[in-house]
Amino acid sequence: MLVFAASDKGGTGRSVTSANLAYQRALTGDHVAYVDFDFGSPTAAAVFDVPGAMRGAKEHGLHSYLEGETAEPVRIDVWRQTEHPLLRTRPNQSGRLVLFPGDIGGGEFATGEEALERCVDLLLRLNSEFDVIFVDLSAGRSYAVDMVLAATAHPRMRALPFRWLVFHRWTRQHVIAASGLVHAEHGILRGGVERGHDEDALRAAIRFVRAAVPDPEAPSGPQVSSAQATWMQACDEALRRLAADHRIGDSVVLGIVPLEPILQWQEQLITEEDVLSTQIANKETLEALEEIARRLTDDTHWGRL
Amino acid sequence: MTESVFRETAAEPRTQSVPLAHLSVELGHLYMEDFEAGPERLRAHFAEVRPWVEAARTAATVRAGGKRARVSTCFLVDDYFTRFSTPAEVVPMLLAEAERAGLGIDYLARESGCAVTGKVPVAEAVAARIVESPPPGSHGLRPPAAQTGWLANGERSPVPRAPQAMKRAVPWQPPHETAARRHSVFLDVELWNDDADGQRTWSCPFLAAVWQLARLGLLRNEGEAVLTPQPHTPGTGFPDRWDDLPTLLKLNDRADPFAAYRTCSVLPTRFLPVEHAVRVILDQIEVDPGALAQVADRSGKERTAVPASVADRLSYVYYAGL
Amino acid sequence: MAPRQSTPRAVLACGEVRTTLLPARQALDIRSAAGLLALRADERVLLSERPGLYARSPATLTGVDCPLPSANGARIRAVGTVTAHAALTEGRVLQTSAHCSLPATGPDQRRPWGEYLVRPGVVEPLGKLPHEAVARGVLDGPRRGDLDVGLIADGLLTRLLRHPLLDQRAPFRSRPTRLRWAALPAAPGEGPSLERFTLAEDELRTVRLRVPEDTAATDLATLCDDLALHDWLLTTVVRMLDGVRLGATAAEDPGAAVRALRPAVDHLLHLWMPGARVSRELAPLWAPLEERPGFTRQWQAMVQRIRDQLTLHTVQAVHREAEPAP
Repeated sequence: MLVFAASDKGGTGRSVTSANLAYQRALTGDHVAYVDFDFGSPTAAAVFDVPGAMRGAKEHGLHSYLEGETAEPVRIDVWRQTEHPLLRTRPNQSGRLVLFPGDIGGGEFATGEEALERCVDLLLRLNSEFDVIFVDLSAGRSYAVDMVLAATAHPRMRALPFRWLVFHRWTRQHVIAASGLVHAEHGILRGGVERGHDEDALRAAIRFVRAAVPDPEAPSGPQVSSAQATWMQACDEALRRLAADHRIGDSVVLGIVPLEPILQWQEQLITEEDVLSTQIANKETLEALEEIARRLTDDTHWGRL
Repeated sequence: MTESVFRETAAEPRTQSVPLAHLSVELGHLYMEDFEAGPERLRAHFAEVRPWVEAARTAATVRAGGKRARVSTCFLVDDYFTRFSTPAEVVPMLLAEAERAGLGIDYLARESGCAVTGKVPVAEAVAARIVESPPPGSHGLRPPAAQTGWLANGERSPVPRAPQAMKRAVPWQPPHETAARRHSVFLDVELWNDDADGQRTWSCPFLAAVWQLARLGLLRNEGEAVLTPQPHTPGTGFPDRWDDLPTLLKLNDRADPFAAYRTCSVLPTRFLPVEHAVRVILDQIEVDPGALAQVADRSGKERTAVPASVADRLSYVYYAGL
Repeated sequence: MAPRQSTPRAVLACGEVRTTLLPARQALDIRSAAGLLALRADERVLLSERPGLYARSPATLTGVDCPLPSANGARIRAVGTVTAHAALTEGRVLQTSAHCSLPATGPDQRRPWGEYLVRPGVVEPLGKLPHEAVARGVLDGPRRGDLDVGLIADGLLTRLLRHPLLDQRAPFRSRPTRLRWAALPAAPGEGPSLERFTLAEDELRTVRLRVPEDTAATDLATLCDDLALHDWLLTTVVRMLDGVRLGATAAEDPGAAVRALRPAVDHLLHLWMPGARVSRELAPLWAPLEERPGFTRQWQAMVQRIRDQLTLHTVQAVHREAEPAP
């Protein structure tokens, strides 16, 4: 299955969250590919902690592949090549976790007919090898979004199931922007229909993930006064109404990732170790990620509403 | 074990052989405008051609070591780009004018036979045998500059392409002939074009390249010879429709074989650009290896030198004017 | 005067084979196989039905003009053509294979292109060829810009995988493999030998051969296609068994093992026929692999294991039916 990770704005935690979902799926035994189509800032290597392995991606990354400069994009076996001490011991019964990085120093580029064919070639080949393929897309209405919309409508791709995750933060601006990315004039739905998608089918394959959501019910501690807590609850309520008005209400939300302090400091994979022994990460964050990862292939969370 | 008693015919390639002369001399091409200019044009043409045919024959005899050289003559009529008149009208006039100049036409071919003969898509098959000459630096990655329907003798100027964001676009660079000696003579040949309905028209140089391959005995379809001569019964007339005329007709039943180790074409100078293009094309066609081996084998037994490169088996005489 | 097109004797042949499961729900029948592999309008696809369905495309040529890979850093420029073909075994396993032969010496300058085209599959060095160093360079993997026959095999594979006959619904997940090979001349009077077969990385295998000088490059390519096919079969079935949870964990979902192993029975187990298409001269090269590690021995052990698992499952199913839960 293909999973496209999109967001209207930067800073939504799209890359770090989808990388964590990929990690969670691999832990459950799936063979997982993580494809970095964030052409403007290809940085997935940092999340997986594989900076050393990126040397090969200088001229053989996805930019070079799509532009026809290299026949096979570099692949990085995360378990084997990560510098993260906990990831290096590949858990028993876990599946493969392979990163396809962009070129170091690669930029946004206009994709043409040939790049589209090559994109289709790549996704088909990955599909024959991996159970789940995460594709991290440049923010906004980007060439990357355009290309995968065209690719998934391509006749050769008919047999490939795909799902979209749209990430946004829990603020007014982000809610409106995320809705716009999907529903507005040049959004994913209209753009998809123009490229040959069925609107209902496409809509049924799109879900939202609210990221870095503060908990309004959190017990008011020394940092939060009761006045602030009341204000936050009102805000949360208003945001829910706004989201529903913009057709991205609770019914199309696949999951909510709580505000996680360590992710504010550093984009990284959250391991059981971080929660249990060092306790630098919150249990709720890990549980949320595990749950979203599980729901990705649970059909009861998908489909027409 | 492949050498065992058991054999499967579908699992084994084979190549039919064709008879070969030493030299195939082309006495000319006939286009509509030549025909419309009247018999005088043909008369003048054959008068110009005559001495050169004699010279070509003499040269072939010398090359054959003084023995009798097998030489056949041929003539090509365009029925592909324009249809004009009828075989019943054109062919007798053509033969009469050749005879008047003291020339005999052994074989007559229709140009459309170089596109399709019977059910065999000859031109398409030849197009699929193009192996582009690699510019230095070609290490196996798909040739990025391949242009469908065109073939060059070198590298084209890079097409300006939108660069990645914040990267610089490449400035203009000249094209480059791969075999250039210091300076380039760059040629880019149109092989075909397709009309709005997807109907393909092969270009004149491309069909001429197919014609040369036929004359060199190097065309095969699934191992079978194509464009093989059909006999013409002397005294019988010619049909009223070009389609009813065999694509390659043997007019002289005592003629030497149509196909030959080498070819010579005697043409007005205006054909020079077309024939330059033919060389560029033939230099990049991988001809049937079985056919190639047969020619090498037979010429070796006859102790006749044949250039290794197919394009080098062609020779021309260009005469001025007309 | 003898014609000049006789091919000078090769002192090195090298190639690369890509092997992959055909991405189609149903195996292709022999007619569809011929359709898939019809790379040229004027040359037929070779079809063979004994000892199994096998189809091979006509050869295609790709021109190259670039430095050769070499272990000692010498950058020898070479020009010529690499020949490539595709093969489909039992309508199920697709291979693309590219190879070329290199003579000991060549001219100081590039010849006219037409002269290379009359010797298909020959890549000629400019000057002398340090063939031992180049053979090592080929097997170590080319640097960027060096001759890379693997790219040509990959290009052909990409082209074939775009074919409309393929519905892109492979019956199970698998990984393609690459097998890179190089053949050097055997000592005078010696027969062919397989010097080394290395599992280099996850997907890469390298094979080093010594063969008498008159060995045809196409025969070598056929041998290496055969080695690559059987290595792929082993690799794929090993991984299939590797992914199956047996024993205690299997009790939670008794059907899981059957679902995971069934594709092997449906699509792969009948493909094992080492050496079936290899020329008589080269067929003995299978012997060392059969001796150690014993390709066929490992295969038979896995086949047995798969059959045992499936039998066990059947027995359990019957058992459950016979003793309904209280």
